[in-house]
Amino acid sequence: MRLILPMLLLGSHAVWAQESTPRPGGGALQASNLLNPNISAVGWLQAEAGRRKVPDGQEKPAAVQFKEVELGLQSVVDPYAKADVFISVDGDGKVDLEEGYLDWFHLPYDLGLKAGKFRPDFGKFNRTHAPETAFADRPLVHEKYFGEEGLSSLGAALSWHVPNPWLFMELDAETIVTPDSSEAPTFGKARRKDLLHIGRASGYYDLTESANMTLGASYAYGAAGQEFNAVDSSSKTLRSQLYGFDLTFRWKDPRRAVYRSAFWQTEALWNQRDNGSASTVASKGLFSHLEYQFARRWRAGGRFDWTESPTDNAGHEHGGLLYVTFMPSEFCLVSLQGRTVRKSDGTDEHLGFLKVTFNIGPHGTHPF
Amino acid sequence: MTIRRVLASFLLLCLTASPIMAKLQVVTTTEDLAALAREVGGDRIDVVSIAKGYQDPHFVEAKPSYLLRLKKADLFIQVGLELEVGWAPSLLTSARNERILPGNAGFLDASEGCDILQKASGGVDRSMGDVHPLGNPHFWLDPGNGLAIARSIARKLTEFEPDHAQSYQDNLARFESRLAEKEKEWAALVSPIKGMKVVTYHNSWPNFAKHFGLDVVDFIEPKPGIPASPAHVRSLVAKIKAEKVSVLLVEPYFDPKLPEKIARETGAKLVVFTPSVGGRGEIKTYFDLFDAGLKLLTDSLQGGR
Repeated sequence: MRLILPMLLLGSHAVWAQESTPRPGGGALQASNLLNPNISAVGWLQAEAGRRKVPDGQEKPAAVQFKEVELGLQSVVDPYAKADVFISVDGDGKVDLEEGYLDWFHLPYDLGLKAGKFRPDFGKFNRTHAPETAFADRPLVHEKYFGEEGLSSLGAALSWHVPNPWLFMELDAETIVTPDSSEAPTFGKARRKDLLHIGRASGYYDLTESANMTLGASYAYGAAGQEFNAVDSSSKTLRSQLYGFDLTFRWKDPRRAVYRSAFWQTEALWNQRDNGSASTVASKGLFSHLEYQFARRWRAGGRFDWTESPTDNAGHEHGGLLYVTFMPSEFCLVSLQGRTVRKSDGTDEHLGFLKVTFNIGPHGTHPF
Repeated sequence: MTIRRVLASFLLLCLTASPIMAKLQVVTTTEDLAALAREVGGDRIDVVSIAKGYQDPHFVEAKPSYLLRLKKADLFIQVGLELEVGWAPSLLTSARNERILPGNAGFLDASEGCDILQKASGGVDRSMGDVHPLGNPHFWLDPGNGLAIARSIARKLTEFEPDHAQSYQDNLARFESRLAEKEKEWAALVSPIKGMKVVTYHNSWPNFAKHFGLDVVDFIEPKPGIPASPAHVRSLVAKIKAEKVSVLLVEPYFDPKLPEKIARETGAKLVVFTPSVGGRGEIKTYFDLFDAGLKLLTDSLQGGR
């Protein structure tokens, strides 16, 4: 990235020169190599033990899976924008565009604009790609409300850094194409042009040199399928409103940054979803994740889950996940995890996971 | 009504939260660069460093609070050679400050014009650890490179304020002259330790060793960013004994337990050696950095092995 922008700035003249005086051959090839985007790949292998309860007709996952390879292409496009493209390929060879967006990062008035397919800023966890989370699964509440892959769609997002002298504040307004209810059960496209509107306000504050906190509140409003009236053959779009609150606390002593750190994140969701026949389902859920790094290469953590379903609040599921993770280097991790879930029908599910991920390519930014 | 007034006051504050600054606002990635900028900029600039001197500059968190400083910056100075690759690029693109983006007038890579060692030749991959293919980024530990950085900063500040070019040139000349005096002082100080064999924790000291005549025999971490295995520790202990290594140099942000164990087994002296201004309270300037470091080294020699 450090080299690419100046190269682009310098290289843009070369591109114009080539257009006016085409020069086939090695020179053009070399310029092309210099201007290549940063290319990285994250691989995710996983083994699973235990009896997973799956709905009738759904296939149980294999004991060992190549969950996915996520290919990342990132580059500055021009002096005004950068682009990020993430393509995932799962173990069966299914290719999916995870994200692909253009990000204008220095518009006037501290504004930023993003357009393309992306994971919207509803809470903090939704932005994290599955291989990069600490877990072998996703929190139950996210699975129930946003589906197995998380909330993601095509749209545009405007963000504003609110200038103030006290803390870092950001406001986001995002509009995306409403996903199908099979992808994100809280919502559901009723018509082709249905849009999902998302707003978020977040603030970051340094409590001390070592500790900091992020607080966020999110809201989403969109279609949740449609209701047909057999009498007059009319249809009515059902609506869903989702409220979210998130808190992230981090601790890391800068004097011992590579050895000790702590992380605590909690997200709570509350949903009001039209259920047809003038009835509304009000449901809620949350997860809380605590992680402690106790040595340079070791981390241990746990997660508590409690959630209802956006379509049915008669029962709830709750459970927890514990893990210990070993990182041989910055670019690889091996994590042993155990999860237990009490299902809404009162039965229990106990699963064990071995998650292995690796990262190849240029050194990326450390996640924050 | 009261709520409206509060909201109106808040919006007014937001819109006027960026007052016109008389002084140039400089943000550096490390305190060494900040110290050099202060030497050249004097009281015409306000300087703030993102990383503290007691912090490992490879592992700084890209906190959003840093964006508040970067938004106002006229000039951003980084060490470069991918030392800050894990955090600076995301801060720069998130700051929404066009001035300080790479390639623009407010961006300075301090490695330009410096004597860079250990540039990768041939293939580079992660089997070599977290390597820096463009060269070793700890180059500010050579006073000659300190002068080169100061010259780059003076040039940059002059571009911003041509009317004050003379002021910056005078400050640079004063720094250069003081550095020349200090170099003589340091040369006398290090003459007893020329050729001293040392083992360092991380590969942070090639420029320092070259300039002051130390012989870096090996490292406690076998490869950059890779913790030592028991086998590496065993072979290192044997090597330290065989080659009669006098001193283990350890940066203050590394856990001293393993170096202490190696020191106990080999009889080598453990010296916690700060590679940056601000690493200890009394190291406030670029000159203090070498004064303190060389004193530690010469003191360590006096006690013998």
